[in-house]
Amino acid sequence: MTGVTLSRWTMSYFALAVLCLLGAQALMALGFGYPAADVAAPETLLLVHLVAVGWLSLLMCGALFQFVPVLVARPIHSNGLALPTLACLVAGLALLLFGFLQLAGGAGPAWSLLPWGGGLLALGFALALWNLGCTLWAARPLALPSRFVTAGLASLAATALLGFTFTLVFGGVSSAQPLVALTAQGVPLHIVAGFGGWLTFTAMGVSYRLLAMFMLAPELDGASTRWAFRLGVAALAVAIIGGTLIVWLGARPGWMLLAAGLLGLAALGLYGRDIVQLYKRRKRRVIELNSRMASVALVNLAAAALLGIVLVGTGTLGDHSGALLFLVAFGWLSGLGLAKLYKIVAFLTWLECYGPVLGKVDAPRVQDLVVEPRAVRFFIFYYAAMWVGTLALLAGAPLLFRAGAVGMLLATGAIAAELVRTRRLADVRGAVRLPEGARQPRLLVSMVRQG
Amino acid sequence: MAVDFVDVDVRPTLRGGGEPFGEIMAAVNALAPGQGLRLLATFKPVPLFHVLGSKGFTHEAREIGEGDWEVLFSPADAAPAAAEAPAPQPADASAWPAPARAMDNRDLDPPEPMVRILAATEQMQAGEVLEALLCREPMFLLPELAKRGHAWRGAFESDGTTYKILVRIDGAREAAA
Repeated sequence: MTGVTLSRWTMSYFALAVLCLLGAQALMALGFGYPAADVAAPETLLLVHLVAVGWLSLLMCGALFQFVPVLVARPIHSNGLALPTLACLVAGLALLLFGFLQLAGGAGPAWSLLPWGGGLLALGFALALWNLGCTLWAARPLALPSRFVTAGLASLAATALLGFTFTLVFGGVSSAQPLVALTAQGVPLHIVAGFGGWLTFTAMGVSYRLLAMFMLAPELDGASTRWAFRLGVAALAVAIIGGTLIVWLGARPGWMLLAAGLLGLAALGLYGRDIVQLYKRRKRRVIELNSRMASVALVNLAAAALLGIVLVGTGTLGDHSGALLFLVAFGWLSGLGLAKLYKIVAFLTWLECYGPVLGKVDAPRVQDLVVEPRAVRFFIFYYAAMWVGTLALLAGAPLLFRAGAVGMLLATGAIAAELVRTRRLADVRGAVRLPEGARQPRLLVSMVRQG
Repeated sequence: MAVDFVDVDVRPTLRGGGEPFGEIMAAVNALAPGQGLRLLATFKPVPLFHVLGSKGFTHEAREIGEGDWEVLFSPADAAPAAAEAPAPQPADASAWPAPARAMDNRDLDPPEPMVRILAATEQMQAGEVLEALLCREPMFLLPELAKRGHAWRGAFESDGTTYKILVRIDGAREAAA
């Protein structure tokens, strides 16, 4: 057992991810896509994929390359695969987005870019899955957090396959009946697999460990955590596998998704109970900004679950699916992502710069790299603007929604600037900033020193 | 009084990753009365000074280039007094000495346990052992220990929540040298 070294390209993943988030927020502020366009319009699809692939998936992949080894206490299978993976994902996303513009009637070649984008994305995700899968496989038997991540990765495979299928059909490459049926009826499965399985389930698994770690709370592996896992996996299996089979039998997957939704709610309920336990049983009374802001994201997840129940109960899910997805993507996943980025960037930068000289010279603490009282305002502003956006969508007020998007854009820009300052050690004062033997980290690449 | 020295060159053993302690002790036990031992090693074998000191040998160590050391162990009545301070541990890697320092880092926020352990290792002498209790496997600490040439052993205690790590200062450097 040799421990875990810094993942060289994780900062590049993070930087590109944040740029995609800023780009998506700018588009929303400009009135591009939903709600100005239809929820299934190509412009909306472009926006959704810029967020889901560009921001959230790149963030998650970059974080997993660094933290799956920590979760399973084994080195990553391949450090060399991270950069080709990133190249495939970025190129695939760019082609996919241009393909959506083609669908919207924009310029470009006569042949569709969608299958190329879908293919490259599938390849990029396959590389990530291979790398992380081999790492997890070598570490069996897995503890519960790693099992959550494994189920999340399986959902990513399903999401990418469904998405690739859609691009083949939309791009005119295939008109095989099973693929056409999936494209016609399978979009909800793609959304559930992506936002529910890949992003949410993986985030749940990672949060069990990271929250316990940063708040000095006991690791949970009791009955409620095990059942949260089982019910969650059952929900995903019913939605994705059951849903696909139903579609192939020629029916609509609605009832299957409702059953999956009930299982998923039970899993979320148990997860919520666990997380409340983690916060309550923590040994560390004063918690850092990242844990406080993560708790707001967790409240947003609960709110999204509640909103889902209300919408299904009142039969208005069809009218407000955009608002629900917005709350999941920006209230829960993006909120958690930004909060954890704020900690992870500081920690990895600290480790890279000061790890080699610890104990030999005076070095700053991790918390000296950040200025929480300044950053907390940006997080609060982000969440407030996000809620304005959600309520504006529910109320059908597009101008107010754009105002909310402007607020989110400004807040995210300010948080991104904080991350750059952290990376540059801009807030570390005095002689401890760069003691002898320490080297200023680069913005986008982590240098791993040997020997 | 001239001392007759028996040569023991453990450098090939060390370079091959082996543990030369048995070889050295066998040679020591085979010495005739009045004979000394001329040891060639790839590092300064401080722990041996103590072991052979307790068997009545004094030593003179000198670096002979490329990091290699020559140590002359002479019977105490045949050589001048020892100049080196004895180190408190045997060289046998399978039996580490009792920890010279112990710390309980279980209630510290990460990365404070790592900071404290690395600070302690910088203050300790080669061959000494540090014991630290943690609440998880210190994944980011281990590469740093390796870079600094320390050896470590770690495992979860039977309670399943406390991780105990023993760090032997310069232990990896000695084993790999």
